[in-house]
Amino acid sequence: MGEININVEHLTRVEGHGNIVLNAKDGTVEFVQWQVSEAPRFFESFVRGRPYNELSHITSRICGICSIGHSLASLKATEAAMGIQITEQTQILRRLAIHAENLQSHVLHVGYLVAPDLLGAPSVVPLASSHTDAVLKIVGLHRLANEFSNLVCGRTVHPVSLIVGGFSHIPSEKQLKEIRQKWVDAIPDVVAVAEIVLSLAHKLPNFTRETEFIALTADDEYAIYDGDIGSTDGGRWPVAEYLDITNEFVVPHSTAKYTKHKRESYMVGALARFNLNYDKMGPLAKEWAGKFGLQPVNHNPFMNNVAQLVEIVHSIEDTLAQIDKLLEMGVNVNERPKYEVKAGRGVGAVDVPRGILFHDYTYDDKGVCVKANCIIPTNQNHNNINLDFQAIAPTLLNLPEKEIELTLEMLVRAYDPCISCSTHYLDVQWKR
Amino acid sequence: MKPKVAFFDFASCEGCQLQVVNLEEAILDVLALVDIVSFREAMKEHSDDYDIAIIEGSIARPIDIDRIKKIREQASILITIGACAHLGGVQRLGNQWDAEANKVEVYERHPGSEITKGDSNPYFAQIKHRAVSEIVKVDAAIPGCPIDSNEFGKVLVALLTGKKLPIPDYPVCVECKKNENICVFETGGFCMGPVARAGCGAPCPTHGGECEACRGYVDHPHTQAHGEVLKKYGLSPDDIMTKRTMYNYRDFEDKGGD
Amino acid sequence: MKIISKQDFDAFINALIQDESLDVEGVKAKGDKFVFGPLDTATELRLDYDVTILPPKKYFLPQYETMMHFDISTGKATAPAMDTKKVIVGVHPYDLIAIQQMDKYFFDTNVDDIYLQKRKNSLLIGVMPAKASEKAFYGDLMKNAGTPELHFDLMVTDLGVLYAVLPGTPEGAQLLSRATSRDAQPQEIEAAKNKRQEAIDRATRGLKVGPKAWHSLLSNNYMSSIWKEMADQCLACGSCTLVCPTCFCYDVNDEVGLDLNTGVRTRTWDGCLLRDFTKVAPGEIFREDIVERYRHRINRKGKYLPESMGFVACVGCGRCSSQCVPDIADPVNLINKLAEATMDTIPDTNMGHVPEKSDLGIIASDSLYIPRTATIRRMMKLTKTETFFEIGLDDGQPLGHVPGQFVEVSIYGVGEAPISVSSPPGGNTFQLIVRNVGDLTNKLHSLSEGDKIGIRGPFGTGFDTEGMRGKNILFIGGGLGIVPMRSLIKYVLNNRADYGKVMILYGCKDPSELLFKDEISQWENTPGVEMHRTVDTCAEGENWDGQVGVITTIMPMVTFDPLNTIAVVVGPPIMYRFVNRDLLNMGMPEENIIVSLERRMKCGVGKCGHCQINGIYVCKEGPVFNYKDIKDEPEAFS
Repeated sequence: MGEININVEHLTRVEGHGNIVLNAKDGTVEFVQWQVSEAPRFFESFVRGRPYNELSHITSRICGICSIGHSLASLKATEAAMGIQITEQTQILRRLAIHAENLQSHVLHVGYLVAPDLLGAPSVVPLASSHTDAVLKIVGLHRLANEFSNLVCGRTVHPVSLIVGGFSHIPSEKQLKEIRQKWVDAIPDVVAVAEIVLSLAHKLPNFTRETEFIALTADDEYAIYDGDIGSTDGGRWPVAEYLDITNEFVVPHSTAKYTKHKRESYMVGALARFNLNYDKMGPLAKEWAGKFGLQPVNHNPFMNNVAQLVEIVHSIEDTLAQIDKLLEMGVNVNERPKYEVKAGRGVGAVDVPRGILFHDYTYDDKGVCVKANCIIPTNQNHNNINLDFQAIAPTLLNLPEKEIELTLEMLVRAYDPCISCSTHYLDVQWKR
Repeated sequence: MKPKVAFFDFASCEGCQLQVVNLEEAILDVLALVDIVSFREAMKEHSDDYDIAIIEGSIARPIDIDRIKKIREQASILITIGACAHLGGVQRLGNQWDAEANKVEVYERHPGSEITKGDSNPYFAQIKHRAVSEIVKVDAAIPGCPIDSNEFGKVLVALLTGKKLPIPDYPVCVECKKNENICVFETGGFCMGPVARAGCGAPCPTHGGECEACRGYVDHPHTQAHGEVLKKYGLSPDDIMTKRTMYNYRDFEDKGGD
Repeated sequence: MKIISKQDFDAFINALIQDESLDVEGVKAKGDKFVFGPLDTATELRLDYDVTILPPKKYFLPQYETMMHFDISTGKATAPAMDTKKVIVGVHPYDLIAIQQMDKYFFDTNVDDIYLQKRKNSLLIGVMPAKASEKAFYGDLMKNAGTPELHFDLMVTDLGVLYAVLPGTPEGAQLLSRATSRDAQPQEIEAAKNKRQEAIDRATRGLKVGPKAWHSLLSNNYMSSIWKEMADQCLACGSCTLVCPTCFCYDVNDEVGLDLNTGVRTRTWDGCLLRDFTKVAPGEIFREDIVERYRHRINRKGKYLPESMGFVACVGCGRCSSQCVPDIADPVNLINKLAEATMDTIPDTNMGHVPEKSDLGIIASDSLYIPRTATIRRMMKLTKTETFFEIGLDDGQPLGHVPGQFVEVSIYGVGEAPISVSSPPGGNTFQLIVRNVGDLTNKLHSLSEGDKIGIRGPFGTGFDTEGMRGKNILFIGGGLGIVPMRSLIKYVLNNRADYGKVMILYGCKDPSELLFKDEISQWENTPGVEMHRTVDTCAEGENWDGQVGVITTIMPMVTFDPLNTIAVVVGPPIMYRFVNRDLLNMGMPEENIIVSLERRMKCGVGKCGHCQINGIYVCKEGPVFNYKDIKDEPEAFS
């Protein structure tokens, strides 16, 4: 059977730069590794000396696709450091902001990046002619999600309206009613897309490796904006204790840092949230989880794609509920934050499309940042991906090289890695 | 024959490529105009046979310099998208320190950090962020952090029809006024709008923010008069420097820094 | 005058909002400021406002306006669909005056049909200001203005618990009939009148020189050091012009869709404070220094528009000063500064700031902006950068131009550019010689015989062929200046008996740039024509039998009676100063020198404002000028 040498440099349809390397000889895996080659940008270093009200704008630039999540984690850290309270209106609007990003990001991932694998196409481009109707539905949902984040955040990539203590621009009741109606009208399209994915779900490899899942968790809601750190291995910790969970370390084949908790690695993201918080999902989301046979705790990383789809349904359901709550309270478009600038340290966490995200800042008494730490979801997954590789590779060696490569790529892609924020890239290197 | 287009990214958040995807349905019109032969963020297909290279990101390491030079050799037209490629991005602020000092701050507290030291590992070697135009010739720069999707479409149309690039040389104030915004200075903010290049449609002041000059300056900014205004509204010389360097640390470095 | 309770007034506005055939716009709050915007309910309406950020100008000359939709493949353009009829509620009198000024400007000579259509399609409900903004000075401007007649459909005055409403037009009266109202009592009419006076009195800030004297004040202070002192603080951001209700300048752009075929030609607000405002395709900027632009803005308001339109283009709204962060835009401050610095007495003119009431019954003859289609009949490359085009209008009509006029050449998706006609009048075709310097000319050069283009014009003044009759004519052409001149030379040679001696001096950079080689040798051999050629430089070994040196070096080669000779001078900006100086030294009277000047003639019809030399619109009053008339304009030959 000879040698298998897989070397995929710059893996595609993921954000950022990563390589897959697999060397096997005579049916034995000699070397398999997930490498991250993205150029480091040193955010934690160069935010030192910058004023507190610039921080969320700068750290938003860690990642274009989760820029809303980074902004919010950043604002929460700053608010925690200075003891700034936010209003209920701000809380609700921020939840809407995360839903908007979740919708936009998950639709992009499931629709544009994963669907081609399931349909045997190299990208969404050929699907535009072979599956025009489905692609137009997906594009329509993506456009609506962006319209939603534009409305709440001022801009979808690198939001403008999210500021320390609240919002600098607030949508009107009329606009909120309009976007609510658009989401109600979009549900049939979501269902149509979900039906298609359901019909293809059997193509997702049936691979299971037991691991730990970590996500925000709360008593009264499917936690995305607020909560404690939760684990499927049991345990619940305040966000401020995140360093005890993440335990970052450096490896030579990655410019992104790796993490581990009690086990050798853990996983964050849609599947982690689902596994921890399933019972607080909306009824339609639960119904769809049922159709896919997805139940907590599920240890198949490929099912992260399905968890994302289920979260799309949940995000719409909760968006409608949150808008209703806001309309009932009455929207104050002129509400602007008031606070005092103080010295201090604060940690902020939100659960963004790719998983739990931590920002930790220390400020001097003028509100100038003197120390920063950001722990990004994809970083927390790199180690888990690497261990999945080691588990799955030996089971694949009988397959043709192309299929091994595709399966490894699909595995990485299932994590929806956003390597530019963890720093960056996917690349499979082969040796058979 | 449709021109072949390839996207490449360097140190960046990839938000500008996302803004291209955010053209939504209009992407199909773009696909009718050009063949996208490489777009790693969205496609598995890849070819090194392309006419137009679209570059996102700043150039940081020797391995990145080699890569951008190869791309420049292949491409007949090289377009940059976004502030990272145009100016060096916010990460250019890291150039205040040398690479080793940055690595100490980011990696040293973690186990295994010794492998980041020095230049022996090419992933971690000689990191300093620069604009693409500082390394190779750039034919068109679409500014902004992120780029505006519509402007990307307009630049593409201009390139394909042989027109001058539709990137204005007037300040953001022009678009801000047309949007009927309350002036940022009147709301207690400090704005780079009077010296920053327009073309974005002033989304930041329109949503209650300040212009941070992510698109760089106009060709002839009245920097001194703008400095006087910032001073009048209460900024110290240090605050003014902070405002100016967020996106335009390149300008500061170009002027020799002081 | 009618009286309406506030409750009934709200019901009236709500009824208008409910009326699907109307688009009701009114003053609403935006933060702690106010804007005009679409009304969802009468309760949004804030008639107690002081000033809006942008004036209601935006309804008639919008920030971004589609002038036409085009289809490149068919070469067809169509006007945009008509908007729903607008009712604009809450316009203050100073903004009504500004609209009257705008009417006069856009209806003057060439009626702007796009503007007129929007204007006719709107009803204006005015309101007396309940308070004055901090920077407003319309009260100062109204002193000695009498009680001018304003154009409004309805005028509302707040009498406390009631509104007094005065109809100003039959349409206004008809609209008012939808409201529950009663006739006003004499004391209510009196109260409304008092409210008006109070409103005016509130907005005074101690302006030392009234608008009627601004012309004299500015004329006397053109060279004042105050301009520089202020301009040093200027950001050149254009805010003062963009928020001004009496700044009308606009830029025109073609936007093509991703199908590379369909698109729109749009116009958008431009401002004379912006650096590119006067930039022409070859790159020349005519007001490069901020001080020139800063001075131009105020002179346009206080001197230039009074000269051309008869009104001072300032209504005292105070928007420019409140929007200027370095605080140097305030007309009150500037006028007072100039007044304090001036020793001369400042006489009044008869030009105030309120033009007579607008006549919306005016009829626009044709679309001012949609070009006629034409075909390129013949093309010939003349030099590396210049190409000859013979053009025929598709309707078969002759262009009907006189020598010296220009046309706007239009290519959908690219834009328009002014090009001088180079052929003499007559015939069914006309000729253009085009240098490849910008988008339009570049595209034009890529076309082929038989291709379609658009033509607007002919525009501008031509040479006064009648007035030249019986005189000797001395043509002095530099570079591309020979192009418009050729139209006149050929006309004169075709009508040889009507003119005296003909002398042609032609200079260009080097022999390769020489245009019309064959025609020139013809001219040289025509009896009664004296021709001299020169080039600035000539490379060794190049085939050149003319002179070498700048154009002024060959001027002494011709002899003429300066009193009976007309000099026609056309060339690059730098040439005029030296040539004219030498002509005057030769004893030529100023009125015998005729020049043709180049500026950024974007619209060609005296509206967009880019081509102004001080107050003169080159596209309309030029490009051909008698030197005597233009020499005192400081920007003409600077």
